[in-house]
Amino acid sequence: MDKTSYDAIVVGGGLAGLMAAHEIAVSGYKVAVISKVFPTRSHSSSAEGGIAAYIQGNSDPNDDPQYMTYDTVKGGDYLVDQDAAELLSMKSGEIVRIMESWGTLFNRQPDGRVAVRYFGGQTYPRTRFVGDKTGMALLHALFQRVSGLNIDFYNEWFALDLIRNDKKIVGLVAMEMKSMEPTFFKTKAVVMATGGMGMLYAHSTNAYINTGDGYGMALRAGAALKDPEFVQFHPTALYPSDILISEAARGEGAILKNNKGERFMTKYAPKKLDLAPRDIVSRSIITEVKEGRGFPGGYVGLDLTHLGEEYIKERLALAYEAALNFAGVDATKEPIPVRPAQHYYMGGIDVDITGTNYDLIGLFAAGEAACVSVHGANRLGSNSLLETLVFGRETGKTVVKFLSSANESSESLDKEAEKIVDEAYSFTKSESGVHFGVVLNKLRETMWENIGIFRDENGMKTGLSEIIKLREMAKNMYVTDKSKTYNTEFFNALELRNMLDLALVIANAAINRTESRGAHYRTDYPERDDKNWLKHTIAYLRGNTVEIGYKPVKITKWQPEARVY
Amino acid sequence: MSEKEQEIVVKIKRFSQDKGNYWQEYKVNVDRFTQMTEVLRRIKTEQDPSLSYRASCHMAVCGSCGMKINGEPRLACKTLALDIVKKYNSNVITLEPMDYFQPIKDLVVDLDDFYDRMFKVKPRLYPDKEVLEGKAEQRLKPEDQRELWKFEQCIWCGLCVSGCPSVRNDPEFLGPAAHAKGYRFLADPRDTIYEERLKILIDSSWRCTYCYQCFNVCPRDVEPVTTIKKTRAHTRFLKDRSAVAEIGEKHIEAIEESIKDSGMIKEAEVYLKTYGVIASLTDLIYAFQNGKLKYAFVKEMKVKNMDQIRKIMGD
Ligand SMILES: Cc1cc2nc3c(=O)[nH]c(=O)nc-3n(C[C@H](O)[C@H](O)[C@H](O)COP(=O)(O)OP(=O)(O)OC[C@H]3O[C@@H](n4cnc5c(N)ncnc54)[C@H](O)[C@@H]3O)c2cc1C
Ligand code: SF4
Ligand code: SF4
Ligand code: FES
Repeated sequence: MDKTSYDAIVVGGGLAGLMAAHEIAVSGYKVAVISKVFPTRSHSSSAEGGIAAYIQGNSDPNDDPQYMTYDTVKGGDYLVDQDAAELLSMKSGEIVRIMESWGTLFNRQPDGRVAVRYFGGQTYPRTRFVGDKTGMALLHALFQRVSGLNIDFYNEWFALDLIRNDKKIVGLVAMEMKSMEPTFFKTKAVVMATGGMGMLYAHSTNAYINTGDGYGMALRAGAALKDPEFVQFHPTALYPSDILISEAARGEGAILKNNKGERFMTKYAPKKLDLAPRDIVSRSIITEVKEGRGFPGGYVGLDLTHLGEEYIKERLALAYEAALNFAGVDATKEPIPVRPAQHYYMGGIDVDITGTNYDLIGLFAAGEAACVSVHGANRLGSNSLLETLVFGRETGKTVVKFLSSANESSESLDKEAEKIVDEAYSFTKSESGVHFGVVLNKLRETMWENIGIFRDENGMKTGLSEIIKLREMAKNMYVTDKSKTYNTEFFNALELRNMLDLALVIANAAINRTESRGAHYRTDYPERDDKNWLKHTIAYLRGNTVEIGYKPVKITKWQPEARVY
Repeated sequence: MSEKEQEIVVKIKRFSQDKGNYWQEYKVNVDRFTQMTEVLRRIKTEQDPSLSYRASCHMAVCGSCGMKINGEPRLACKTLALDIVKKYNSNVITLEPMDYFQPIKDLVVDLDDFYDRMFKVKPRLYPDKEVLEGKAEQRLKPEDQRELWKFEQCIWCGLCVSGCPSVRNDPEFLGPAAHAKGYRFLADPRDTIYEERLKILIDSSWRCTYCYQCFNVCPRDVEPVTTIKKTRAHTRFLKDRSAVAEIGEKHIEAIEESIKDSGMIKEAEVYLKTYGVIASLTDLIYAFQNGKLKYAFVKEMKVKNMDQIRKIMGD
């Protein structure tokens, strides 16, 4: 097996990974970025609405980072670590300034300064944006910036697993997709910036590549996930492609209707109606569909027609275009077909505000792969892009500090590396049996049905036993394609392994938390229970069992109060 | 909202090192909402896991899924199966890898050449030192932001390069996407390496044949050819001109003459005057093959608005 060596390896070429790599590279350390897709294809490119930032002198005069922290803490249903939220708010202006200086084409005010708009859950408008393609604009600007630095990019390389020596990370094995050749990357530090896991759910707004690989790798290496039960669902994803139709549509007056043409939100949220919080609207839509008032295929209509063609095209251009391009629906004439879909993962690799994981020396994480805990039980819109950059940068800086005193392991661990490759292949070694698609489709349905928007003990236990069955079944997975170049069937099988490991952890943690908080909603425990559950879940995967422990939530200033809007 | 399903036949041009090129057929039920990426996903997870293709965002922003659909360069996710059925009046849809790039496996092509082109134009802002250090703030007029954003929206999909006749013909030509990217920074008032950029871009900008293929295929309406036109207008700012740039100047003269003579842009005539008979003939053959000759004719119309023409010419 080929071998190479770096001071640090960043897995993931999205916003979080590239920002971490930037910090490490400008400090003069030798760093590589490994990504299973060319960096600009990362999921960060899909983000639409914007990035939240308090900018001194360019924000509402009454606003203050304190308010921003408060909004974030409350939005996250008090499961947020408040020191993390404070850091996020304090650094938000600086990160936007940096991205601007690197060429991000933020929309402007007439005086040439970065413009701002209002987003749900904000006391004052704070969202900075580039049209409706903020993620794409940021990702391209950042990628273009780092492509001029001394960083080795391994694009279309698939990371298989971490290698550790006792409690210390010593490297990882990744495979070039084009040649299918594995390489042992020796290193002192690994930053996991592998993004989210939307493909675990039958319906998700995420990219096809979001398969939770980083969580799987971290779990198998012995690191914990924090708050794995918290999965965010967005109420209005376009049917059937699950492309996000922004909350802005309902903000402008769009109305949800069932197959009888009824405005059903009058039943579920008589005051807030269609603008009730994401979780409530999602639950309402699912109820309508389950009770037979959805359309065949399982969706409801988002009606804009009463707003008039001119208004729609001017104010809701993106919703209009998405419906037209991806569902063939003219939103000026008929309702847009929508249904809830998985949208974001609040859980992730357990790290603190420096990006450090304390299970393994040399393991760091940032972005959606990590749980610093700025989002708690429920993420606010436009806080995630901010998190990727702020904590990507913090983590990069932490790695630089770490490297100044870390030394390379002298032990030869070539055997370990071989073992990882063998395991990957053994997993798919059978000559007949099921192929990945069969297991994958079942897993996605199970997660959606049983560990989704509505949860209860019976349903989740059924789901868990199905996951256990599927994990067994996958051991005999059969890869039909024997090709030695760009064998995506093999990689899809490996992704599925990661998804199954993560699913097992999510199911266990969700069954364990007997309360409702933020996105974790249990019909059998519908109330938030601060007395017993104001704490983080810490979950380890040990073979086939999940070990659950707890960590206190860091509270600096804001004591829990009821989350009413 | 009707949910009528219809069966389509998907014929995919496959490739592997062992088996070479071959065609394979699949049958898939689709409704009017089904994107071609979804068709591919269903084939891979339900029928034939060995099929390889690239797709990520399924919303036309990541640039992964470029391919030829019924011979047209398109993004698979931005293409609804039944729209193609309607357009071609047939339920058979063919999928092929993008032209020009080497196939690696099935619909996956090698994009290294494309990325090399993009990196050649130094695709990043070089701002003032003070700004980089956070000691000064840079502002941007809203109208400049709008103009630049149009060209910055390239998603690196490669479709325009795969269809560009000049890229195939002329190894010195940077290609449409790289020109769009290069111009985006050339025109950015915050950038500090104008001279260097000009040197990279000018010569190449005169190697485009204005066939408009890039304009037609770009899924983000970047209009690479527009950036090439705009770049050419900067030729006069360059001190040492190369042979190609000299030819370019001749091109402008020829156009001016043509307009003076007839009040029309006789593209073909101008072309001949500029490049000579042999070069023009080879280009014509390419234009023909690409079905693009029609654009040469479209443009031979009476000029109504001389101001507009001057604008296009970069005055
Ligand atoms: C439709 C949509 C809209 C959104 N809009 C907004 C918004 O407006 N504002 C906001 O703040 N947030 C938004 N979000 C959330 C936000 O976009 C994401 O949380 C964020 O971009 C994640 O960035 P990341 O850097 O952590 O990961 P990603 O950008 O997902 O990058 C992950 C990287 O890891 C790599 N990788 C993964 N596995 C492997 C492996 N095994 N081997 C090698 N490489 C691997 C991938 O190739 C990729 O480069 C939105 C999300 C969605 C779904
Ligand atoms: S107009 Fe120029 S750049 Fe565009 S495809 Fe034609 S030759 Fe290529
Ligand atoms: S200019 Fe358009 S077609 Fe060309 S690579 Fe960019 S997005 Fe694709
Ligand atoms: S899948 Fe991203 S552009 Fe088509």
